[in-house]
Amino acid sequence: MILANAFCLFFFLDETLRSLASPSSPQGPELHGWRPPVDCVRANELCAAESNCSSRYRTLRQCLAGRDRNTMLANKECQAALEVLQESPLYDCRCKRGMKKELQCLQIYWSIHLGLTEGEEFYEASPYEPVTSRLSDIFRLASIFSGTGVDPVASAKSNHCLDAAKACNLNDNCKKLRSSYISICNREISPTERCNRRKCHKALRQFFDRVPSEFTYRMLFCSCQDQACAERRRQTILPSCSYEDKEKPNCLDLRSLCRTDHLCRSRLADFHANCRASYRTLTSCPADNYQACLGSYAGMIGFDMTPNYVDSNPTGIVVSPWCSCRGSGNMEEECEKFLRDFTENPCLRNAIQAFGNGTDVNVSPKGPSIPATQAPRVEKTPSLPDDLSDSTSLGTSVITTCTSIQEQGLKANNSKELSMCFTELTTNISPGSKKVIKLNSGPSRARLSAALTALPLLMLTLAL
Amino acid sequence: RRRARARSGAHACGLRELEVRVSELGLGYTSDETVLFRYCAGACEAAARVYDLGLRGLRQRRRVRRERVRAQPCCRPTAYEDEVSFLDVHSRYHTVRELSARECACV
Repeated sequence: MILANAFCLFFFLDETLRSLASPSSPQGPELHGWRPPVDCVRANELCAAESNCSSRYRTLRQCLAGRDRNTMLANKECQAALEVLQESPLYDCRCKRGMKKELQCLQIYWSIHLGLTEGEEFYEASPYEPVTSRLSDIFRLASIFSGTGVDPVASAKSNHCLDAAKACNLNDNCKKLRSSYISICNREISPTERCNRRKCHKALRQFFDRVPSEFTYRMLFCSCQDQACAERRRQTILPSCSYEDKEKPNCLDLRSLCRTDHLCRSRLADFHANCRASYRTLTSCPADNYQACLGSYAGMIGFDMTPNYVDSNPTGIVVSPWCSCRGSGNMEEECEKFLRDFTENPCLRNAIQAFGNGTDVNVSPKGPSIPATQAPRVEKTPSLPDDLSDSTSLGTSVITTCTSIQEQGLKANNSKELSMCFTELTTNISPGSKKVIKLNSGPSRARLSAALTALPLLMLTLAL
Repeated sequence: RRRARARSGAHACGLRELEVRVSELGLGYTSDETVLFRYCAGACEAAARVYDLGLRGLRQRRRVRRERVRAQPCCRPTAYEDEVSFLDVHSRYHTVRELSARECACV
């Protein structure tokens, strides 16, 4: 144990020193010529400061506000306005989830983009900035919480959804906003009216916008072994109020309804952008980004398109909005296609399952392919105190990581295993784009560090 | 030893917290959820006022006999937490108001 601790301490110090010495650290993106897109509220200010831009923008808005959008856009003046505005900062502006003035930002976005799309498209571009950060941190937490690697009997008995509720109740902010949406969504108005759906949706949106995702995702995407757990998971959003309705509308009608609302339309477009099944990636998710998919799924809760688990089946996860494809007429195929993005989407399914199991994908350019539902790399070891499962500190996970490396063998000169530990630590300390650089310069560095590590280890072994 | 404790203020009136299962509260709810229960505990001797001393004196002289009186301040919540919600074993949600203390004082 002493040896293990000394070992870990050394790794940690070494990593700290290297990150201090390394010039390529935190600023990341700017160095690679990538600039964050201007948000539409700011772009609007820039446009307003310019007389040509602002007058064209006013014209376009009048064009789009007309009764029949298509005939108005056929107008020469409207066309000219659109052409000029494609050169302005308004054209490629984006919005952020939960930003100040989000609705205003989205209104500006759609005022330009509605004019650009030819009628109704199946998939629309997302007005939201792409999510760049990876879920590693949250995934790691999830894996610690889920306690995988402990004895399988205890693990099968534990209810992760109950643990997630506990974690929320013990956090003041999460508890407050959870209790708030529960009491609103659970309040019966009259025998015929189960609740105030509008207020319930609003409270749910506040919960998912203002509570950190390490709490909200854990409740929403917890993994289950039995029905009681799965029922709790299904009940998270109080579906009898927020989800179910007297009638099940047709999915394409529901989509049209959603598209009349700027927020709902944007969240749906974001879901399509981030959860659309891809056949070119390992995980079936665009850019193997689970976080973006889970985030945009959760982003639809509290709107007309609110999705939920359709039943309390513990392992066969099926989610769907409250709609069906009955009465689609000749649009049956399109309707089924739309619905399948929820019900039979391998990206969404993998993302939910990977979160439940506490596994993030670690796809490196040359790295070995890791199946999406692989056992977590971070393992809890018997030598660690039992109350680890309640700990959320980063320090713990660093130690855990190192200990698991330890278990893989104490051959200090095996640079391959050591470099794995380094990659792990590197991702722990600074997730994101930096990882690629690290991997490229990996081997030589790892070998150097391995040599450095071998020294004190040898000394320690001799001393013992 | 007792003195040392009093000096360090370890037992002064204040908020304490406990993680409890909802069922343990004995309120009739059957839920396995864990909530944070905050309560007020601690000594209030230092907070005695002339009122308390006067009342004690009158009680000793049996001028106050019939009523139940309290001649020392008591550590009680002065504010409560709004609400806490939980799901019970029958998949029904419940919201309980003012379950937990938010502030304590010797009153």
